[in-house]
Amino acid sequence: MALQCRLSGATFQSLKLATIPISSSSSRFIFRTLPKTLNLALFSRHSAPKAPPFSVLIRTLSAPAVAAAPAAETSDIKVVKPQWNAAIDFKWIRDNKEAVAVNIKNRNSNANLELVLQLYDKMLNLQKEVERLRGERNNVANKMKGKLEPAERQKLIEEGKNLKEALTTLEEDLVKLRDELQIEAQCIPNLTHPDVPIGWEDSSKLRNMVGSPRKFDFPVKDHLQLGKELDLFDFDAAAEVSGSKFYYLKNEAVMLEMALVNWTLTEVMKRGFTPLTTPEIVRSSVVEKCGFQPRGENTQVYSVEDSDQCLIGTAEIPVGGIHMDSIVAESALPLKYVAFSHCFRTEAGAAGTATRGLYRVHQFSKVEMFILCRQEESDMYHEELIKIEEDLFSSLGLHFKILDMATGDLGAPAYRKFDVEAWMPGLERYGEISSASNCTDYQSRRLGIRYRPSESPSTTSKKGKTNVAATKFVHTLNATACAVPRMLVCLLENFQQEDGSVSIPHPLRPFMGGVEAIYPKSR
Amino acid sequence: MKGKLEPAERQKLIEEGKNLKEALTTLEEDLVKLRDELQIEAQCIPNLTHPDVPIGWEDSSKLRNMVGSPRKFDFPVKDHLQLGKELDLFDFDAAAEVSGSKFYYLKNEAVMLEMALVNWTLTEVMKRGFTPLTTPEIVRSSVVEKCGFQPRGENTQVYSIEDSDQCLIGTAEIPVGGIHMDSIVAESALPLKYVAFSHCFRTEAGAAGTATRGLYRVHQFSKVEMFILCRQEESDMYHEELIKIEEDLFSSLGLHFKILDMATGDLGAPAYRKFDVEAWMPGLERYGEISSASNCTDYQSRRLGIRYRPSESPSTTSKKGKTNVAATKFVHTLNATACAVPRMLVCLLENFQQEDGSVSIPHPLRPFMGGVEAIYPKSR
Repeated sequence: MALQCRLSGATFQSLKLATIPISSSSSRFIFRTLPKTLNLALFSRHSAPKAPPFSVLIRTLSAPAVAAAPAAETSDIKVVKPQWNAAIDFKWIRDNKEAVAVNIKNRNSNANLELVLQLYDKMLNLQKEVERLRGERNNVANKMKGKLEPAERQKLIEEGKNLKEALTTLEEDLVKLRDELQIEAQCIPNLTHPDVPIGWEDSSKLRNMVGSPRKFDFPVKDHLQLGKELDLFDFDAAAEVSGSKFYYLKNEAVMLEMALVNWTLTEVMKRGFTPLTTPEIVRSSVVEKCGFQPRGENTQVYSVEDSDQCLIGTAEIPVGGIHMDSIVAESALPLKYVAFSHCFRTEAGAAGTATRGLYRVHQFSKVEMFILCRQEESDMYHEELIKIEEDLFSSLGLHFKILDMATGDLGAPAYRKFDVEAWMPGLERYGEISSASNCTDYQSRRLGIRYRPSESPSTTSKKGKTNVAATKFVHTLNATACAVPRMLVCLLENFQQEDGSVSIPHPLRPFMGGVEAIYPKSR
Repeated sequence: MKGKLEPAERQKLIEEGKNLKEALTTLEEDLVKLRDELQIEAQCIPNLTHPDVPIGWEDSSKLRNMVGSPRKFDFPVKDHLQLGKELDLFDFDAAAEVSGSKFYYLKNEAVMLEMALVNWTLTEVMKRGFTPLTTPEIVRSSVVEKCGFQPRGENTQVYSIEDSDQCLIGTAEIPVGGIHMDSIVAESALPLKYVAFSHCFRTEAGAAGTATRGLYRVHQFSKVEMFILCRQEESDMYHEELIKIEEDLFSSLGLHFKILDMATGDLGAPAYRKFDVEAWMPGLERYGEISSASNCTDYQSRRLGIRYRPSESPSTTSKKGKTNVAATKFVHTLNATACAVPRMLVCLLENFQQEDGSVSIPHPLRPFMGGVEAIYPKSR
């Protein structure tokens, strides 16, 4: 659902929504995890107990030379420890740099692969140097154990001291280098499924279409007009109380929202998903680990004042966080969750007619599916998720198409993304009601979610000792089962009747106390 | 200065006029400052109090009514946290990592139970003529203040949004109170009765201790809230109606509870009178507040600017058809908790636990849970 909010790894996705003019030299800074205002005192008060003390990468926007220069001088940049580290396989990136470069280009990412490779090289060399010096220091220490002339001993003591100082400096440089490498490498977007079309929105490929647009023999009303006539929502009062893009649901719309959520949860539970409700306030680090940017310009994320907490834009975030920093038994996989939550999005940069009424709002209810699975199975579960969505939306009688989104439209975390766009007769176009992404190991490398493959019998020695297999990163997938406001738009506009009533799809009726239609109120 | 004057006389008057103008400007500025200061001080004055309200603190609160009695258990009673763990109903540990303490995930039947509670409560209250609503959960801080809360006080209960004048609501009372802000409602429209479902967010700053374990005190929860706007003469009557609805709801679920008329020291500034419902929680071995019903008379409406125009009586209509427009009056507002989900979960789990470790679902909720009759321990 509306994954345009993903900004990490720098896609130009947000440019389509935002109208900020971006010059090419400063563009890479817009998409980084860089708050413009820094309050180090604030951070130190609220650092999580486990996380190392953290500050923020400071890059002056007036230094485009840093972007252009291949070898960034660390003296220009105050690199301080990132709050958390993604488990990135630098060696793999180096060994596959052509493929990674092509992928970055196809996704229009701002990641700087050259810089990553240089920093990695530098780091390896520095590591060697550090090891060499350590070796020498050990030599000196060993020599000092034997019998020595005072002059010789003094010389060795001097040498030892010099080595220690040099080592300390190099070790500090190594830490800084590692941190910078980490930050640069974390910008690299996920790989892409080979079948994904390359290009922008118009390159997205149609996978499937279900149903066809209904033929109306009376004038079609849009959901706003229907809502007004049926007394289903109030945007005006909400504008006074909260601001634009907020709303109250009233009367049957309230029951319809509950029926949609209830029915969706029930249907998805039947398919083996564990139902959840989640916190809607989370630590900003968890938001970042899922691939979102709480503090980027034009961020989609609301932050809570005086804290390191944010409001979630999707239940994908708190669900992704459940198994953070843990090793799951392979036998426990797949873990399948269906989570209901309210979602909050700033929708910064989004304007225009496509944002009227319920189509684009700051707060909404959503039922989200989330799967953690073995690496070999993520493609299969991606197919399972899109099939579930297809079943759900057909049951409701909607007409929709399923798109295989092109590389330019994938967020950094997604290996592959299927969007569902449903026909909205009042808006006279298709509108996105759902999104299913396979994030492979992008999120799990950041969230630290691994699994231990079960040992095969052949690795168990006769004495009963088992070889412990190396852990692997899980693959994570997420898919919208029901985004309520967009569903309300679809239901109202598609099932309106000539007499002004709206007919309730049959599957929802039992969840609404048997109500069959919403009728105009007598005035 | 309009008449014919000698130049010298005119000049003298001009001087006098100028001095008066300066003096006036200064005084008018002082007046504005004074008004502002008066306003701020006066807004601190709490609402009046119903004559029957006991004077004093918590222990002075008066028992209005008690329904049911504590269930007698013939096996060891578990608290809701233990039941939740054994029945795999919530996760506080993962939430502590992801969000912080006093956050939680609901799992499995607890999710269905929350939905059933909300659904059933809304349905029951709608039957009594209340209009159902869902509300924004982000509101302007001015609206929070007008309802009588303090977004920026020390130990505030209110979460604020960074770089904005917005806050998260602690109760749907706030966005519902705001619906008719700055307007004049026709008397014939009253009473306006709303039942609103929302998530609520509270910092719970300053709350600590054992009374805060588990679901009893959390930062985020679902709540169904009743809100009435009515004519001044009718608020006492609607206060009785609201507490009666609560009594009916909680008895239907089979809970044992007492209703208290809260003493003056325990009323918030807006409340003219407040009834609290405390239900028996056998796992906690005490009564815990599950609901509150307040009559705020015109405290909130004077701040939110909600008036009504009384209908003219026929005697004020002159023969020429001209009607005398009656002066507007401030509505009275009331609010009452129909269902605060976490506290209800504590009550249901602890009261309806069975010896075999299962929890029995109250009959009224079963149809809203697909007919599920009980929550059973999962086989492991």
